[in-house]
Amino acid sequence: MDATTVLAIICSAIVFAGWVVLPHSATTIVKASVVSEEERTPVSVSA
Amino acid sequence: MKIDSGDTAWVLASAALVMLMTPALGFFYGGLVRRKNVLSTIMHSFFILCLISVQWVLWGYSLAFGPDKFHLIGGLEWVGLNNVGFTPNADYAPTIPHQAYMVFQMMFAVITPALISGAFAERQRFKAFVIFSLLWATFVYDPIAHWVWGAGGWLHNLGALDFAGGTVVHISSGVSALVAALVLGRRLGFGKEKVEPHDATMTVLGACLLWFGWFGFNAGSAVAAGSLATSAFVVTNTATAMAALTWMTVSWWHKRQPSVLGAAAGAVAGLVAITPASGFVNVMGAIVIGFGAGVFCYMAIQLRERIHVDDALDVWAVHGIGGTWGALATGLFATVAINSTAANGLFYGNPKQVLYQLAAIGASWAWAAIGTFVILKIVNLFVPLRVQEDEEVLGLDISQHGEPAYAL
Repeated sequence: MDATTVLAIICSAIVFAGWVVLPHSATTIVKASVVSEEERTPVSVSA
Repeated sequence: MKIDSGDTAWVLASAALVMLMTPALGFFYGGLVRRKNVLSTIMHSFFILCLISVQWVLWGYSLAFGPDKFHLIGGLEWVGLNNVGFTPNADYAPTIPHQAYMVFQMMFAVITPALISGAFAERQRFKAFVIFSLLWATFVYDPIAHWVWGAGGWLHNLGALDFAGGTVVHISSGVSALVAALVLGRRLGFGKEKVEPHDATMTVLGACLLWFGWFGFNAGSAVAAGSLATSAFVVTNTATAMAALTWMTVSWWHKRQPSVLGAAAGAVAGLVAITPASGFVNVMGAIVIGFGAGVFCYMAIQLRERIHVDDALDVWAVHGIGGTWGALATGLFATVAINSTAANGLFYGNPKQVLYQLAAIGASWAWAAIGTFVILKIVNLFVPLRVQEDEEVLGLDISQHGEPAYAL
């Protein structure tokens, strides 16, 4: 195994292992500031 | 020399793929700006596609690839495509018509000034942009392309490796973007009010189309349909994916959430970084290059924010730093097992290659920075670079083009 392969494995391991310790849900909940027309009034799609 | 139909088909198809990258860049950038500036941002890319297509056949190709003058520039012998016909040129591509190579290279010349437009988005006067782009393509891009790729160019002779444009395309545009951002100054309200991308979906779509087109950019640079093109294709995809994963992970750690725009920006950073190396490194090298692109380009954005430079769409961080990393990494990971006509890098027993790469990096940074600064100052003598304040507040779509992007 050459040095480039060893480096590639280390880089991949850092990224993949990082996901284990990263937060699994958003720490700040952003509320939607705009209510779309569709949410206010049901839209009829029938002819 | 005999024309190979397979090679010709691949290079022409690659030219079309690279052509698609410029409007894709327009969408990538267009989604990142505010709604009032989206049309003007897309127009920058579309206009440059038209402008450089004409400049290139008139004199651009001759300056970049024409018969060498003092190892610095091509001569004028090929102006108007004189002597650029259908007979292959042995120096550049011995199995395809010379004009096929010319039009493939045209698409590189097209996208490079379009990349810079992200730095001065939302505030540059269109007329100034037009004049700047023409001068920049002629006095910055064409000379650097000759140094690196032209037969007889001094960096080419030195032994610097740049398969598809890390120095020629990405360092030149990224460094020029930084200079342009500094010369034009910050947008109104920069740092005081939040500037949100108006359409993240447009940006992600643009990134996907860039990724698609980049296969032509890198694998097409083999100028033949064979094993080298295949290798370039594979390492391009690998480095891009790795950079997107890395950027997303770093931003997840830093901002506590995995950013979609971050993943898209990471992919572009990976595409940039693998570009100079794509014909010289193996797939393990591509993973390291992608990882470095995700880390270094993300860090460059943090630095740019800290020093309050308004490079609006982070062209310097992604293309300048990504291109620099890629050019340096080529000197580390290049191997003749992939490309027997090139050289080994440091990791394969040839430390000198790093020095050649550093020379190419330094020369590209210097020429791009000085050239861009001088051109902007000259243009400013005749046309103000920035729009007026009320025009900037109104938005460039209306003030520069008289058209709104959306009729909502």
